[in-house]
Amino acid sequence: MATNFGFSISKPRVIDMDANNLRKSDDILASMPQLQSCIGCGACTASCTAGNLTSFNFRKVHTLVRRGEYTGVYEELNKCMLCGKCRLLCPRGINTRAAVMTIKRTLGDF
Amino acid sequence: MFYAHFCIPFIVGAVIMLLTLLYRYISWVVELPKGDKRLIAKGIFSTATLRSVWEIIRESLLHISIFRVNPLLGYMHCSLAFGWFLLIAVGWIETTVYMGAELVPLQGHVFFRYFATQIDTHIPIFDHIMDALLLFVLSGVALAWFKRLRSKALGMRRTTKHSVGDRIALSFLWFIFPARLVAESVTAAVYGGGGFLTAAVGGALQHTLSAGALEAIYEPVWWFYSAVLGGFFIAMPHSRYMHIFTEIPLIFLRNYRLRVTQSSTSYDNFQLQSCSRCGICIDACQLQSELGHNGVQSVYFLRDRRANRLTMPVAFDCLMCGKCQERCPVGIDLNALRLNSRATMRNLPNERRYGYFKGVDRSEGSGKVGYFAGCMTLLTPHTLTAMQTIFDAAGEEVWWADRNGGVCCGRPLRLSGETDSANKMVEYNIELFRRHGITTLVTSCPICLKTFREDYNLEGIELLHHSQYIERLIEQGRISLKHADNQSFTYHDPCELGRGSGIYEPPRSVIKAIGTLIEPKHHHRNSLCCGSSLANTIINDAEQLKISAALTLELEATGATTLVTACPLCKKALGRTTAQKIKDLSEIVASNLN
Repeated sequence: MATNFGFSISKPRVIDMDANNLRKSDDILASMPQLQSCIGCGACTASCTAGNLTSFNFRKVHTLVRRGEYTGVYEELNKCMLCGKCRLLCPRGINTRAAVMTIKRTLGDF
Repeated sequence: MFYAHFCIPFIVGAVIMLLTLLYRYISWVVELPKGDKRLIAKGIFSTATLRSVWEIIRESLLHISIFRVNPLLGYMHCSLAFGWFLLIAVGWIETTVYMGAELVPLQGHVFFRYFATQIDTHIPIFDHIMDALLLFVLSGVALAWFKRLRSKALGMRRTTKHSVGDRIALSFLWFIFPARLVAESVTAAVYGGGGFLTAAVGGALQHTLSAGALEAIYEPVWWFYSAVLGGFFIAMPHSRYMHIFTEIPLIFLRNYRLRVTQSSTSYDNFQLQSCSRCGICIDACQLQSELGHNGVQSVYFLRDRRANRLTMPVAFDCLMCGKCQERCPVGIDLNALRLNSRATMRNLPNERRYGYFKGVDRSEGSGKVGYFAGCMTLLTPHTLTAMQTIFDAAGEEVWWADRNGGVCCGRPLRLSGETDSANKMVEYNIELFRRHGITTLVTSCPICLKTFREDYNLEGIELLHHSQYIERLIEQGRISLKHADNQSFTYHDPCELGRGSGIYEPPRSVIKAIGTLIEPKHHHRNSLCCGSSLANTIINDAEQLKISAALTLELEATGATTLVTACPLCKKALGRTTAQKIKDLSEIVASNLN
């Protein structure tokens, strides 16, 4: 019997690194090497103004981009208001606002 | 009689310069938006025109505001500008006195010493006056040379690095007055006459050179003087010296209330070309003094934009703290120009963007007074609870706009050049404020305050920073505070609040109601930036810390027990580099309520 617990589990899926084109991802890393120091803690997402109103999740988006999964990323990043709270909280001191702008600029309407 | 072949380079140069300038100014004025043209039509027959003339005398000729930076530097600019102007003006009077009503062509005025040898009358007093003026200008040229060697002596840590066009024009300019001295001295040596300076130099030349040699160099020295003048005139519109004339229309247009807007207009040309590249902005820049970033300061930004080769690293490497704008002797609207440059680089209009704002309203409470915390205040909850305490103590009914999350004010996007996106936030927030019928809007974030004031149309709603609001509560006796002289505070002026919004005294009077206020080394208009400015997306974390540490050092040097600021972002930035207590203004008020 299907019971609604108020949460769901993501569908299982495979990220095929052989099939994904990492060129754009590498471009982004090359222009912002500090992204490599991300530990995926999610402080950016926890503090996010847009995340408070929508499902926008910068940690997730950033991780997807790093793996070459670009579909929908640009639209997702356009939810960001660039308010900069994430930058103040990032334990690695990543310039997250510049990261958002760089990823948007590199991916465009991918 | 007022013609000799050596005048040709001068005449050609002057004509080319005149045509270039006319073409530029006329096309810039023609391209102005309709609203701006209407402003000109309205202002031209008002007192604004008279005020402009007075300002031109003060700033374009005398350079009063540079005297305030450094007297010697002011003298240098004044002697070159005002001195040259007097040479032309008095020279004009001189020829008029000599020739009466007879029409004298341009070169007749400029090279009058040459042609005067053919006139029988001689009025020696003019020789002396003109020599004194020439000496005045030459002293400025000498100082300019000296400044290249030792800029510190003229109060400048660094001077501008010039482009090729500037160097060419500069070389011509530096030669003009020495060349004039030589030409007039040789004339005095050959024909006699001359004032105290040219006669003395001429006398020295007579001693060292034979009469034949003097005769031989007589024409060439006048050719040389004419050539450097002509060369300078041709190079001028393509160099920084374009500012000499452009500042004049700029002053008129500015007094007619033309402004730099969020998208670039033809008025920007007048602003851009009025920069004299004096480099006073370089020393004001903390990116230079703390981080050693060169080539990004306002003078270089304007240079790049003028040459159409502005790059993102230059446009975006700026804290927009406004210190350079505060010091700019020409009063160029540096921040606004940088912003509308950014808007051409990052602005991607997209109608679908931020569709999720629709129906969002997480506000609570009701009252005529609204409180907008802003993103940054939500990240410094002490400020938020302090405001709650203050509102309660004053018995104020408050509508909380975004205590449970809300939409950003839009300034961060605007600072990053995404003007269209920012305007979506403006629309949303205006609608939200109107729907809840507030008459006063209080915010504890100067970043929000600035955009509310400048980019929002909130007629009928009074905008207050919380420092102003608290000051008003104290004045009205709605809250009372415990005062203790042994409590000492130092106050950091946030850029967006101080230079950005002109609010300096309210936070100070609130602090003085609680304890003693000790000013740090840089305060009011000269206060430093905390380094965390949202305007800069180039500098990294370590660099932000460096800027913040320098500020902390100054604040701690006051010996005050508590550091106070009135911006949540400054508080966050300072909190990272100080071991002392750092409080928002509202916190010290809330904890000292009676």
